Amino acid sequence: MPLHFKSFRTRLLVLFLGLLAVVQVAAFLIVNTATTRSARGQIDAALVTTAESFRELLKERSSSLLVAARLLSGDFAFKKAYSTREHETILSALNNHRHRIGADMMFLVSLDEMVIADTLHPDQHGTPFSFSTLIGAAEENEYGEAATVQLVDGRPVQLVIVPLLTPTPDAWICVGFNIDNRMARGLKEISKSEISFVTHSDSDQWATAASTLSEQAIPDLKAALAQRIWQANASTIFTQSGEHYVSLVVPLEKSADRVLAVLQRSLDLALAPSRQLSLLLAGLFALGISLSAVAAVVIARRVTKPVLTLVEGAHRVKDGDFEQPVLVEQQDELGELANSFNTMMSGLAERDRVRDLLGKVVSMEIAEELLSKDIELGGEEREVTILFSDVRNFTELCENRSPQEVLSILNAYLTRVSNVIESQGGVVDKFIGDAVMSLFGAPLSHADDASRALRTATGMCAALQELNKEFRQQGRPELSIGIGINTAVVVAGNMGSQTRLNYTVIGDGVNLASRLEGLTKYYGVPVVVSRDTRNAAPEFIYRELDLVCVKGKKEPVAIYQPIVCKADEAADTVATIQAYEACLQHYRDLNWDAAIEGFTALALKQPDDYLYQLYLQRLEKFRSNPPPPDWDGVFAFSEK
Amino acid sequence: MTVQRLLVALATLTCFLPPQVLAANVQVKVVDHNGEPLEHAVISLTYSGSAARANNIGQRAIDQIDKEFVPHVLVVEKGASVFFPNKDDIRHHVYSFSKPKEFELPLYKGTPAKPVVFDKTGVVKLGCNIHDWMLGYIYVVDTPYFAVTDDTGGAVVTNLPAGNVIAHLWHPRMKAARDTNAKKITLTPTQTASLDYQIKVRKEFRVRRAPRAGGRKY
Repeated sequence: MPLHFKSFRTRLLVLFLGLLAVVQVAAFLIVNTATTRSARGQIDAALVTTAESFRELLKERSSSLLVAARLLSGDFAFKKAYSTREHETILSALNNHRHRIGADMMFLVSLDEMVIADTLHPDQHGTPFSFSTLIGAAEENEYGEAATVQLVDGRPVQLVIVPLLTPTPDAWICVGFNIDNRMARGLKEISKSEISFVTHSDSDQWATAASTLSEQAIPDLKAALAQRIWQANASTIFTQSGEHYVSLVVPLEKSADRVLAVLQRSLDLALAPSRQLSLLLAGLFALGISLSAVAAVVIARRVTKPVLTLVEGAHRVKDGDFEQPVLVEQQDELGELANSFNTMMSGLAERDRVRDLLGKVVSMEIAEELLSKDIELGGEEREVTILFSDVRNFTELCENRSPQEVLSILNAYLTRVSNVIESQGGVVDKFIGDAVMSLFGAPLSHADDASRALRTATGMCAALQELNKEFRQQGRPELSIGIGINTAVVVAGNMGSQTRLNYTVIGDGVNLASRLEGLTKYYGVPVVVSRDTRNAAPEFIYRELDLVCVKGKKEPVAIYQPIVCKADEAADTVATIQAYEACLQHYRDLNWDAAIEGFTALALKQPDDYLYQLYLQRLEKFRSNPPPPDWDGVFAFSEK
Repeated sequence: MTVQRLLVALATLTCFLPPQVLAANVQVKVVDHNGEPLEHAVISLTYSGSAARANNIGQRAIDQIDKEFVPHVLVVEKGASVFFPNKDDIRHHVYSFSKPKEFELPLYKGTPAKPVVFDKTGVVKLGCNIHDWMLGYIYVVDTPYFAVTDDTGGAVVTNLPAGNVIAHLWHPRMKAARDTNAKKITLTPTQTASLDYQIKVRKEFRVRRAPRAGGRKY
């Protein structure tokens, strides 16, 4: 499973230390292996040399022993003693000579290999000599001499044999020297190696005859020998009382491994200098690790600090703060990154400012539309509900007031109505003095754009009531507005020149909406909608106002007033509207009396409703000056 | 040295044996087990019954010349007296521990006044106490008929009366016992009998020799 370190600093630290540790451990292992191998090699070489000089020493000793034996064999007094054939005399002479040369044992053996005298066993004579192979070796030698190492009474002894010349060979003189601790110590002084002489019995028992090793080490040596982990004349490592010895086993007897010398050198002693080296290396390792850790932390901080500053900067950008630049004073890649970041931030700030400004100049939705696409001239056909509103008698309102106050009043009004438009998802297309043109369905369309426009109209009227309340308190004049709404397929898009353009809508439907707004004052209603809008938003209650032919349009248009009422009054309202529409039908059927009667009744009931007055006035005119009989009921407006 | 020995042998034959008419000869040829001619082999012939005996068995001598016994092998009849003249300018100490005659001539120069009498048959090995390598043999026999082989391995016994004889061969280094090679032959007048021997000999151990005077160090 891979390790995950969240912090860059930790990762860098781990990487640094990991690499360093790998290198150091590898170096340590290599050095350690090399020194161990080298020490082992040196010891091996030294042991081989020791073994050679050891054999030389043994040969040398044999030669010395032979010289001593030879002197004896040439001794005339001994020959005379021998010629007596008296056992006691011969034995005594042998012992005498043995003391002269410091030998441990002497034998006199006849040519037919029978013991004549034996200083170890004074009583034995006439028995076969035990070491006939030694005599065999002597017989092969040109001087009749031989030397070997043999077990005598279970102890290793260096034996030499020479003929007794009288003057021809008449007997064998055999001289033996024990291999003992003294000899081992002497050899150790020369060879600088531990030396043990071990014997191996037929019953596979190992015994040490002589050794320079400590008492405690000897049982381990025997155990190692018994385990047979060694080969003759090849170095092996024995562990003795916890210490490692490179050991070389050298058989002394030619035929079998009954007597062996074990040459040993301590590996631990040889490795002591390299152990010091290891300690030094370990110290360097620790030092290297700590320095690297410090270096890694410093480097990591140099990297992470600017990164953290950049992260903070990025958070600020996310929160819309483009003002505070990121401060990184490094000249490296991170410094470049910070510079780029700052450049990006000022770019973002610039864009934000443009967007803000655009959002104020045009509506937010149009700003988005403009920013999201390449701006091109041209547009697309779409169904849009256009709402026009206008403050009635604004010109009169401006009289006797300072432009600043007018502007203040206008801004307060426009702010309120803009809020209502935007709250319904509509878009303020433009302000034309005190008039507001707003769109529902462009640039974003909704399924209920017409309804949204109607709700906006209602909302604007409500907002105006609120505003008028405030204006009354402030001593300002109250405002009244007219709203025209039309739904039509128009062209929406960017219009103007290549260098200066507007997002807006163009078409007959736009003009009609403007005309409908103009009709509100004539009919004395706040809102006038076209039939298309009424059909697009059927959930409202409407009252048909008239069938009109507006200026610039040949087709007559049915116009309606949306009625806002409380739910419990809805039935009454609808009944009133039906009564009204019955009158309207009399009017259109040229049935003047019935129409006048009906409208008069309605006007009595609702004296505030200007529409009934309007129709009564028009009926008065038609009675005296009736329209042609084929009149289609359309009222033509010749003015705007 | 060989010539000297031959001369001695001839002198022995000519001086001490009465000349006989119609005498037989025995010619021997001795080689070792490798077929190499064997010097210093002694052939001795014994007649069955009592053999004619010279009155004067005589006085013989083994010189010590240049720290060697000359001749190396001397055959004498039982009862012979042997002088040991020292021809070197240093002393010698001649000894024998052999059973037929044990004797010792402690360090001396010139010729000791008394000869050594060898009155038992057998092999007497001669050594010098101060020169280990000096080795000589006196072979004491009970017959006047004998000869020693030269470096060709050959020897001739002359002026032999006719009759049945037993021939014995001895050599200082022969492995077999002396009696095992006895051969019976019948000699007729003027006959020259040939005897060929091949015998096994022991290797002789070398003895370290001191450097000769003025010579290289040993």
